[in-house]
Amino acid sequence: MDGKDIRKVIVACDAGMGSSVMLATQLRKQLKGTGVEVVHTPVNQIPADADVVLTHAGLATRAQAAAPGKLVVPFQVFLGDPAVTRLVETIKKGGTVGA
Amino acid sequence: MLDVLDRRAVLLHERAADREEAIRRCGRVLVETGAVAEPYIQAMLERERSISTYVGEGVAIPHGVSREHVLRDAICVVRFPEGLDWDGERVTVCVGIAARGDGHVALLAQLAEILLDPERARALREATDVDTVIKELT
Repeated sequence: MDGKDIRKVIVACDAGMGSSVMLATQLRKQLKGTGVEVVHTPVNQIPADADVVLTHAGLATRAQAAAPGKLVVPFQVFLGDPAVTRLVETIKKGGTVGA
Repeated sequence: MLDVLDRRAVLLHERAADREEAIRRCGRVLVETGAVAEPYIQAMLERERSISTYVGEGVAIPHGVSREHVLRDAICVVRFPEGLDWDGERVTVCVGIAARGDGHVALLAQLAEILLDPERARALREATDVDTVIKELT
């Protein structure tokens, strides 16, 4: 998928009340002006119109099972993870996501 | 109406032998301030066992997985000046979360901002005054 085609990014964690909220607020700020929607949800409630799912590496398997066929991007740390930085760059500048 | 961050839920001179004790302390504060029912503490411990809630800069954000046993949106700030081992990371501040709705979101956004600024993160870790902590986070 090309970064420019991404319209909706889901930040998924197990509860959708803690770490995903923190990451989602940061992402919204970084993606301001791009028109990309950032939503935080529990990992078992990923919406069907999601383009990319960001989730902690420990939850990636569950996220993929809950959202078959969706692109899942795992990260290790909640703030400043290189995988997240890369995704933001790709959305802004284009290029292949998940490559 | 009670604030999401009740000043009685800010404890800056606590001590815990390990991560479990620290989480129990956070849970106890949330129970005492009427934010959660007792079983929520167990849910916090279980959540932590699956994936660490360490978020960086010496801060962890223990919380449960479901909204069950949560009475209102609330957070607590519990500081352990001596620090403690958190699954290989060193934690000085726990921000315990109880959420039914989105009342706590603005505060977590603020916390993220603080943690991305090493100076402000250090100030939070070293805070000894309740008003300073409340001012920084709200």
